[in-house]
Amino acid sequence: MKKVIKLTVNGMEKELLVDVHSTLLDVLREDLGLKGTKKGCNQGECGACTVLIDGNPVPSCSLLAVKADGKDVLTIEGVAEAGKLHAIQEVFNEKGAIQCGFCTPGMILVTKKLLDDNPNPDEQEIKEAIAGNICRCTGYAQIIEAIMALAGRKQVR
Amino acid sequence: MAAYNIVGKGVPRVDGPDKASGKAIYTVDVSLPGMLYGKILRSPYAHARIISIDTSMAEKLPGVKGIVTGRDLRDVRYAFVDTPHYPADEQPLAVDKVRYIGDEVAAVAAESEAVAEKALALIKVEYEIIPAVFSAIEAMRDDAPLVHDEQLEGTSAWEEWGVTKRKNITASSYAANNVSGRTFVQYGDVDAGFEEADHIREDTFELKATAHCPMEPHAVVASYDAVQDKLHVWLSTMGIFLKRFFLSKTLNIPASKIRVHHTYVGGAFGGKIDLFPYEFCAAYLTIKTGQPVKIELDREEVFMTTRQRHPMNITVRTGIKKDGIITAQDIKVIADNGAYRGSGPVVIFLCHGFSFPVYNVPNYRYEGFSVYTNNPIRGPQRGHGAPQIRFSIDSHIDLIARDLGMDPLEIMLKNARKQGDVIPNGDVLNSCGLTECIKGAAAAIDWKNKRRQFQASPASTGRFRRGVGISICSMFSGAMYYPFASAAIIKMHDDGSATLFTGAQDIGQGSYTTLSQVLAEELGIGMEDVHVVAGDTELCPIDLGSFLSGTALVTGSAVKLAAADAKRQIMESAAELLGVDNIGELDAFNKKVFQRQSPDNYVTYQQAIQASVLRKGGNPIIGTGSYKGYEKTDRYPSLSKGKGLFTGAYGFAAQTAEVEVDTWTGKVKLLRACTFHDCGYPLNETIVRGQIHGCSSMGQGQALSEEIYLEEGQLFNASFLEYRLPISTDTPELVDGIVISQEPSGPFGAKEVGEGSVAGMLAAVANAVHDAVGVRIKSMPITPEKVLRALNNPT
Ligand code: FES
Ligand code: FES
Repeated sequence: MKKVIKLTVNGMEKELLVDVHSTLLDVLREDLGLKGTKKGCNQGECGACTVLIDGNPVPSCSLLAVKADGKDVLTIEGVAEAGKLHAIQEVFNEKGAIQCGFCTPGMILVTKKLLDDNPNPDEQEIKEAIAGNICRCTGYAQIIEAIMALAGRKQVR
Repeated sequence: MAAYNIVGKGVPRVDGPDKASGKAIYTVDVSLPGMLYGKILRSPYAHARIISIDTSMAEKLPGVKGIVTGRDLRDVRYAFVDTPHYPADEQPLAVDKVRYIGDEVAAVAAESEAVAEKALALIKVEYEIIPAVFSAIEAMRDDAPLVHDEQLEGTSAWEEWGVTKRKNITASSYAANNVSGRTFVQYGDVDAGFEEADHIREDTFELKATAHCPMEPHAVVASYDAVQDKLHVWLSTMGIFLKRFFLSKTLNIPASKIRVHHTYVGGAFGGKIDLFPYEFCAAYLTIKTGQPVKIELDREEVFMTTRQRHPMNITVRTGIKKDGIITAQDIKVIADNGAYRGSGPVVIFLCHGFSFPVYNVPNYRYEGFSVYTNNPIRGPQRGHGAPQIRFSIDSHIDLIARDLGMDPLEIMLKNARKQGDVIPNGDVLNSCGLTECIKGAAAAIDWKNKRRQFQASPASTGRFRRGVGISICSMFSGAMYYPFASAAIIKMHDDGSATLFTGAQDIGQGSYTTLSQVLAEELGIGMEDVHVVAGDTELCPIDLGSFLSGTALVTGSAVKLAAADAKRQIMESAAELLGVDNIGELDAFNKKVFQRQSPDNYVTYQQAIQASVLRKGGNPIIGTGSYKGYEKTDRYPSLSKGKGLFTGAYGFAAQTAEVEVDTWTGKVKLLRACTFHDCGYPLNETIVRGQIHGCSSMGQGQALSEEIYLEEGQLFNASFLEYRLPISTDTPELVDGIVISQEPSGPFGAKEVGEGSVAGMLAAVANAVHDAVGVRIKSMPITPEKVLRALNNPT
């Protein structure tokens, strides 16, 4: 069965005919071609598929697309503005917070939420904020370093 | 040490912006018009004969475009180990027997994943269940069921590549007692060595299987172009040429008719080397249907069917003098390689390979067996044998130190190999900073003050108790495996910038960045002047692949040679423009060639390249380079005898750990981890630190929480909730020390960094736990249950 839903994705309004069984992750990736959102487990356990819905991080593999009807969705593709990387993206790369990059979109969106709410988190707050996002490559140290370096900075947005 | 402009600096990764902005394309992101979706039917039984397979119902399902079963592929065989001694034992789809739960039986390509899934349910397979065996030790008994009883023949990959077939090797008919491989190495006089000893100790250790858990699940897209007769594949791999070779061999089509395209790899850690049945099936089905086919494994399939680290039983017996000098060692390893040989014979060889470069043991015997069982297949995983063997040896050394009332550091320092040592197979340690690593890691953890062993009243009574431990390790920097060498091509552009063509694959370890740095440094251009075309078999020259930690040394050397070649050509052209006869008078830097004596007399690279096109028969300047570990082909390592040269250079590391044990719950918390790694020279400090952290985190997981639960071959924890990887809140305080030993054969002195230090954490933690609470855990991982049990029954 299909249903029409409305989503605002990265600032653009979309009207979509989606299968009622489709997850938001599949709709973003397959229907909208936004492949930056990653599928690491498809069962809500790794955080790779994290997007911000109305500003809050949600694992998009665990949300039916129809449940996101009317919501505002920010994916990794919407973080850079006018081709210029966001400060989080810049600093992640400078500090070695990116290796294979598969966890990176989710990590960056969670970091954005953290810094939007609390521009000056301490190390423990940072660790807790990203605890739902698994990174197998970095051992987290350089991700934490990157977020520490961002803490206290005036955010772009 | 020479001052460099670009190598050694922590320049940001060249692939970082794509990955940070969601633009990086991974295999699973590839979508082609008319693409079909494939699914694999897997065995629900650990050991069963296939009586019949009926696909007729599935074929009739609307939307199903192609089905393949083992019956279509009788003669196809391949394997990670494919030598005259160990003929290939895997088939893409089971023919007569299934040998583990998850073994591939059939594949379907359909218009959607849902239809493919439905079709699987319509395939009727009749099985006859037969007795199975689930432990290596039981499998070796005379009355155990045989996992492989078939005759294996065929030409191995090695013979096709001109490696001489050894005389008198009858390809093993079947594996007696399920033994799939044996390594036996001996040197010195072991019995005399033990006689000489003042103290002899023997310990047995056990390690469970663990999973790689790359965050990107395995996937493939295959698309056959019938008009051009060309098979295009996108796959998640660590070595594009190796995959192409396997596809060519199994599909029986020439390698040049297959093109592996570049995609980013979302982590691999050894688990993306082998050819997998789903990859073969996608290729087979695209040829059959004429439509592109995508197969994406789900997380459970990744856990079950894409290899695991070998569970092992390891016994170490050591003879030692009162003063801590080792006189003899006898090591026995039994590795369960699961239902197919996988990398069994390699891992038992490598357990030796990562044992003997560390301590100077004059009298040494090593025997390793890899054994078939009806468990999932085991393959290479970061360190490949090193975590198992280092855990065992260094836990054992810690126990010996306690027996002798010595500091284990002292034993390590007294027996550690040194720079210049020639180790028994003939490999020379041209760079070895092991002693420096040990001292550095010990100082960083504050060994003298924190080691409870030395304190007046080591037994504390508090609930939380702390202790420290140490372990050391070694790793190859590349070794001989298909395609045996790496090459690089550098194309100069009109403006003096360069494009590097490399077959290396960036699996997250940062090779595109470090190789760009090597190029830029050698050629005298900036990082912004380097472009990388990589990971494409059509565009790029051969490459060893990103495993056995060979990229920095082997591919890095090829890139350096190619850059030197391009630079020489630029200089020759510049010499003509400058009216200089001898290019020895010239230097090149910052895209300018100038006379050393009068630097104002210069031409730009742009001018030199233009002049080369105009005056040197149109030569636009293309630099090439290639590198191979060894020149001699007759000294390949022998897996079974441990003879031959193993690698061009060994990386070394020392790991110390401080833990806190909760004596009420048995939970062990890693507080502080100090890793000192001798990587020769850090081409990129940020990346080197990242590799060290990644290793240390993976080691932490293996030491404390990671374990594949199998019950009669059935995997019970194929999810991240139940297979516990370290998460951010588990991150200890990390200290990383980069030890520079300047490997003479490595580019700018660089060698291995990405694997070795994964091995140190296991014994470092086990030894720290002993230091904290006085109990010894000899099996990995150290779970709260094991700690509590040991605390309640101190031996
Ligand atoms: S893919 Fe959604 S949490 Fe893993
Ligand atoms: S960078 Fe690979 S999983 Fe985080």
